[in-house]
Amino acid sequence: MSELSDVRAEQQAADIEPDGAPQAKVAPDLAPTPRPPRRLNIIGRRNWFFALSLIVIVPGIVSMATRHFALGIDFAGGTELTATFPNHPSLAQVQAAVDAEGVNGSVISTGGDGYIIRYPPLSATQLTNIQADLKNRLGPTNVQQILTVGGTIAGETIALSLLAVVLASVAILLLLAVRFRNVPGGWRAGFQFGGSALAALLHDVFILTGIFSILGAVLHLRIGEIDAFFVSAVLTVVGFSVHDTIVVFDRIRENLRVSQRLSFEQVVNLSIMQTAARSIITSFTVVLVLTAILIAGGSTLQGLALALLIGIVSGTYSSIFNAAPLLVVWRRVQPLR
Amino acid sequence: MQLVLSWPVRLFVVGVLILSLFVDGAGYVYRIANHYPLTGQVPGLPPNFGGWQLYFHKGLDLAGGTHIDYQLTNFPAGQNRADVQQRTIQVINKRVNALNVSEPEIRGAGTNNDRITVDLAGVTADQAQKTIGAVSKLTYTKWVKDDKVQAGPQPGYKPALTGLTGDDISSATATIDQNGTSWVVNVQFTSAGASKFDNLTRDAVAACPGAGQDCPQRHLTIWLDFTQKDIDNWEDPSYVAKLSTRYDPGCLAAQGPDTVCGKFLTDPTTVEEIAGGQAQISGQFTQQSAQDLATGINSGSLPVDLVALDVTQVSATLGAESVKLSIAAGLLGLAIVVLFMIVYYRVPGFLASLALLFYAGAVLAVFKLVPVTLTLAGITGFILSVGMAVDANVLIFERFKEEVRAGRTITAAVDAAVRRAWPAIRDSNTSTIITCVILGFVGPSAVKGFAITLAIGVFASLVSSIIVTHNLLAIVMAGGSFRRAGLLGVDRVRTV
Repeated sequence: MSELSDVRAEQQAADIEPDGAPQAKVAPDLAPTPRPPRRLNIIGRRNWFFALSLIVIVPGIVSMATRHFALGIDFAGGTELTATFPNHPSLAQVQAAVDAEGVNGSVISTGGDGYIIRYPPLSATQLTNIQADLKNRLGPTNVQQILTVGGTIAGETIALSLLAVVLASVAILLLLAVRFRNVPGGWRAGFQFGGSALAALLHDVFILTGIFSILGAVLHLRIGEIDAFFVSAVLTVVGFSVHDTIVVFDRIRENLRVSQRLSFEQVVNLSIMQTAARSIITSFTVVLVLTAILIAGGSTLQGLALALLIGIVSGTYSSIFNAAPLLVVWRRVQPLR
Repeated sequence: MQLVLSWPVRLFVVGVLILSLFVDGAGYVYRIANHYPLTGQVPGLPPNFGGWQLYFHKGLDLAGGTHIDYQLTNFPAGQNRADVQQRTIQVINKRVNALNVSEPEIRGAGTNNDRITVDLAGVTADQAQKTIGAVSKLTYTKWVKDDKVQAGPQPGYKPALTGLTGDDISSATATIDQNGTSWVVNVQFTSAGASKFDNLTRDAVAACPGAGQDCPQRHLTIWLDFTQKDIDNWEDPSYVAKLSTRYDPGCLAAQGPDTVCGKFLTDPTTVEEIAGGQAQISGQFTQQSAQDLATGINSGSLPVDLVALDVTQVSATLGAESVKLSIAAGLLGLAIVVLFMIVYYRVPGFLASLALLFYAGAVLAVFKLVPVTLTLAGITGFILSVGMAVDANVLIFERFKEEVRAGRTITAAVDAAVRRAWPAIRDSNTSTIITCVILGFVGPSAVKGFAITLAIGVFASLVSSIIVTHNLLAIVMAGGSFRRAGLLGVDRVRTV
């Protein structure tokens, strides 16, 4: 790494002296309030942070295992008709009209005159008949959107999504292993870094999918339904979650090089403290944009924005409180050097 | 890092900026002056390079229209699947032309050449499926005596189904006849079709024997979508008159139970018995009409069965609403990020915001140039990339503060900050691009647009945050007036 070859070692060493003054100055990045009396010991309290993650993940996994997901039309298959009725029928009236069609339709109100009506997959002819029928019973109908998804496509979407997550995970593990093989310990160290990042990444995926399972299948909220947008969100989280992790790991790599006197745990803790502010800020800018989409982006994009929001907050948490501490645990189990 | 700050790089950035402004602004003056809508395709829109226009291509979820994925089944045995798929696409294209859709997109898909996706703007799912799925079947009829028939093409006769249909034709080609004087259409029957045709022509000639003879039974008339019901109505002169006009694909596509459409294709006279499965259709053909007929016969029936796997119909109003909402979300997001960067990082934050605007302009220009078809998911990917675009800047600025704190001069700190933040920036963006590539290749089709715009965005943000921000910082810091702690968001500044 030519970038690091000219690091002024004595200056860096001064920077990361465990009890030296410079670290204390890092804290004002986080909050410009008075300096905390001593550095947070994240590594020492790692079990607390692991436990905190499990408190969210375990119910999510239980929910996924027992209740699965509330599937949107992309995955469940079927026909979904989004329409507004200028004659202001009530939900009960719309439901009654749909029941009278006898094709097992169910109605969801989207507010105002808007309704979503879901059927099992309908043929083109059936769909034409049903639209005519709705018109007869409820008056003029403004059809905004009709989606019909057959079982084949639904199954394929699930398979392709899983494949994409697995491939992306493997690719990221390899990328990190290659990038971090130059720390002391070589390839084995590289895979420790890559593996810890991968674990943090899976943590984020489980948090996100678990929360959506709870939202959709336990609480029966429509925003918790998973669709193709949700898959995009998971994949984006997979890509973005390692951003913060890489920032921490990159600093660990740098600090390992310039400070031979500190223990591995001290180096990791120091690196977390040095980079926590920027990890939070980089995520914060994305959170700002997602909030804008959540507020102004309309109902179609709200599910996507919420999923990304959960994933990115989780990604920042996991890179600070899980990825690096995990690396320390791994080093203890499999010492290098 | 000297390279980044060199003049060639700065000229490149300025070049990209000018090109982006040109591309982004292209066409709007013309649209406003001529009262055209501000988006979408407009005839003769300048700049017009050989028909290549610069405008945002909107996906169906924004423009309104119908998307259908078809599964092809019942492939004819012994034929190349890719060829069959191509032929099916041609047939669908031909049929869709009748709908007058702007830029219909009909693409082959599927790992085994067994899928076709169809995107039709401004068409309801109902219309689209009727047009594409319409069984335009070629039918041969012979003429049988019926005294009750007073009018029509052959008074005193009505047609009868012969059992010979488009299914019995393997191919039709337009060509010049043996004399080299006129255009004809050669038809090649399948083996079953050949024997049917042989029998029909033998009977036709036998009805009024002798060379050069002509009688109604000698005519083997060819229709499209001809049914027994049409024959049953043969005693109604107005019905027959309508039916006997040249076939009308648009009418046939939108046909209701009570409409009568033209179904007549051609009415050749049988000159002699034809064995061997080849027939020639002659008439007063021009090259164009002969080719149209050949295509018509070939497209008369699809070589495969189509099963709609999924159908999406979006109304134009919902699409317009989505465009409005996503533009609002995008502007709001951009404004919040710019505000945050300026408040938190002061002058560097302002410079990063300028770079962000450069970035947004450049990416939109790429969308127009490529062109990338923008879907709702695609726009979301772009908006998201605005939030991610400043990440590299944040990493550099935080590092910058750190270097200043460590006692470096401003210039040295900027340089060291960019250099030391680079590995993390490179690796993290690589991971996002890898994910996007994977999503683009194996992801479900609905999310591919998202992956593409996010990948373009991440790549462009890398360029803008590293090259543009660094150059702006170097230029601004060259003058002394900004070297103040309050303006740089750091505790103190070493002035020597």
